Amino acid sequence: METETVLEVKHVSVDYASASGAVHAVDDVSFSLARGQIFGLAGESGSGKSTLAYAIARLLRPPAIVTQGQVLYYPRPGAAGKNGKNTPAPVDVLRLRPEELRAFRWRTLSIVFQSAMNALNPVLTIGAQITDVLRAHEPAMPRKAQQERAAELLRLVGISADRLQSYPHELSGGMRQRAIIAIALALNPEIIIMDEPTTALDVVVQREILAEIMALRERLGFSVIFITHDLSLLLEITDQIAIMYAGRIVETATQQQLYRQPRHPYTYGLLHSFPTLHGPRRSMTGIPGSPPNLRVLPSGCAFHPRCSLRFGACQAVIPTLLTPTSTAQNQQVACHLYDASLHPPHLPGELGNTQIEQIDNQELALQRESGNENHTSLY
Amino acid sequence: MKIIHRFTESSASNVGQGGMPEHSTQKADLEAPILEAVHLRKVFPLRGLRLFGPPRGVQAVEDVSLALRPGCSTALVGESGSGKTTVARLLAQLYPRTAGELLFRGQPLTGKSSRALRQYRRYVQLIFQDPFASLNPMHTIYYHLSRPLRIYGHAHSAAEEERQVTALLERVNLTPARQFLRQFPHQLSGGQRQRVAIARALAARPAVLLADEPVSMLDVSIRLEVLNLLLRLKAEDRLALLYITHDIASARYFADETLVMYAGQMVEGGPSEAVTQAPRHPYTQLLLLAAPNPARLGMAEQRPDSPLLETRGEPPSLVNPPGGCRFHPRCPFAMPVCRTQVPPRTELGNGHWTRCYLYGESSKPTCSNVARSAQSKES
Repeated sequence: METETVLEVKHVSVDYASASGAVHAVDDVSFSLARGQIFGLAGESGSGKSTLAYAIARLLRPPAIVTQGQVLYYPRPGAAGKNGKNTPAPVDVLRLRPEELRAFRWRTLSIVFQSAMNALNPVLTIGAQITDVLRAHEPAMPRKAQQERAAELLRLVGISADRLQSYPHELSGGMRQRAIIAIALALNPEIIIMDEPTTALDVVVQREILAEIMALRERLGFSVIFITHDLSLLLEITDQIAIMYAGRIVETATQQQLYRQPRHPYTYGLLHSFPTLHGPRRSMTGIPGSPPNLRVLPSGCAFHPRCSLRFGACQAVIPTLLTPTSTAQNQQVACHLYDASLHPPHLPGELGNTQIEQIDNQELALQRESGNENHTSLY
Repeated sequence: MKIIHRFTESSASNVGQGGMPEHSTQKADLEAPILEAVHLRKVFPLRGLRLFGPPRGVQAVEDVSLALRPGCSTALVGESGSGKTTVARLLAQLYPRTAGELLFRGQPLTGKSSRALRQYRRYVQLIFQDPFASLNPMHTIYYHLSRPLRIYGHAHSAAEEERQVTALLERVNLTPARQFLRQFPHQLSGGQRQRVAIARALAARPAVLLADEPVSMLDVSIRLEVLNLLLRLKAEDRLALLYITHDIASARYFADETLVMYAGQMVEGGPSEAVTQAPRHPYTQLLLLAAPNPARLGMAEQRPDSPLLETRGEPPSLVNPPGGCRFHPRCPFAMPVCRTQVPPRTELGNGHWTRCYLYGESSKPTCSNVARSAQSKES
């Protein structure tokens, strides 16, 4: 995995203007996406994950306004910049001029939307919708070459090329989603934002699409920002995960750290909210209460009314992301429990104890062994 | 035969660990079912003139039998279009059945008069998937809950009615109840609305509760609470609960018994832990392999290799479904007999059964012919 950064989101905030004052949908969010990485953005409805993605692609329309921040895109160092330098300067996507933005979108960054049913035009064939991208961005390309490229893209996502003449309603849900991915890949972008790409699909089809995305990433080397509410799915496919709550990132970690050692009480609650199929039956605790109303956010940490570990500082101060221990370098958490200067109460075993981590690792290794045995024995 | 057994036995060692209460169906003595479906069949006729041949129809449910017992929860698992909602609506007598019988407390249901249906719905209530659509936006919560009390004659005075409505709200943890009485559905969150829908079903004082995907529209962090609420109510009132879901992992936690449907046919059933940890039917195995598994970190390197995962394709059209076992076009283990005859029910012990020729006494497949049919499918 390359560690070179391709996109850096810095202190981005998005407000929705409303009659009763501005609603902070995204509040001071920062993260960076490495080249070839799959970055997962998880959160419940209303946590701001889709708004953030739309802000990155500059797809937000009033009443949504980006009030602060930068989205820096680092062009590939190999490609020489305008003034012949080897490492071109980063570009702030939020400040691109309209014509620059048109060139940036789709060629550098494309989006796969949630509902393939609505994202495709029902009265145009799949082929016409793929070549539309090519006509818009590569007008010099001969029509025949465009047709060939469209057929190639369909084959790439596992649809036979004779489907070019099909209309969206003639395809199944899974094939429509594949077609959308084909359109997103048309110009070989470096970054693809996937907003709940498999939510409306059945598990078996979802698994096929995910395998397809993983295989394509291996081959083409694009980066993915993968947005979903399904944490179990993210844990399985992503490299780095950020958990959003009420417009803020509350924890960011690699998927292994997050699964074995969640730090934020909200992450811990989420991990114990969905039933697991494999391994012993764990008791599930869930999270009391319901997600906050963004119009009237609780003071301090927005999660504190639902948090069983809250203490004095939680109601007063908004926590910022910090690294909880010296060992976990990629893990950051926005929680006062890890800020020694605030004298937090003693951490319960699940959140702070490293011994549990070791036990979990062993358990995991055991599970993995038995899991592998299961699958090979199917032959 | 042996190979598939190994898949199941190695993971069956997990059964019953983790300190969760043992399921009631694992006891030898079972209570008499309160609602029973026997060889239920539903064909939705298709409109349109056809001069030749028999009239066509969507064969949504084919030969489904199930029994709901007091104090037991039964999960009905399947993908979209598998007919699971149709089964619930047949059980609630919202649809007339094409063939088959419904037995309520051992008596066959024949009456079709509105009086007989109302009497039936006093005992059998349905909870719908979408709490945004199942409550009338024009009416208050009080109206929603008082109507069943009046219709079924549980409340005889206004004071009694209000007392019972308040008690219902408290039972579903909507407290302080007074605050909710005069509110309209739009003023509540999704989780609260679904609680109102549950309270409305309870108002009739039913013996059977049919819950059609009761949490799939809710946020992850509040799903568990609604499910636990249903479990508590089931235990308190000794309700027979049918839990319809596409999420087989939640069936493991939530239901004593799990039934798996594919394309209108029931393919496997039995104690939840046995079905999810030792699946026998290839479709159940596919469903379980496809479910997200956070323990399987990093899909690329640890993707399970199974011929089942190579099965491309989607559930068949139910207008003209494949003969025999409807899964055979996708099944890597399909044998000639699967194409022509519907597999009989094979008992696997402890109430676990499947409808698959791989386990039938008559065909007795061996390791070699399973492998051969898998090969011939691939080539």
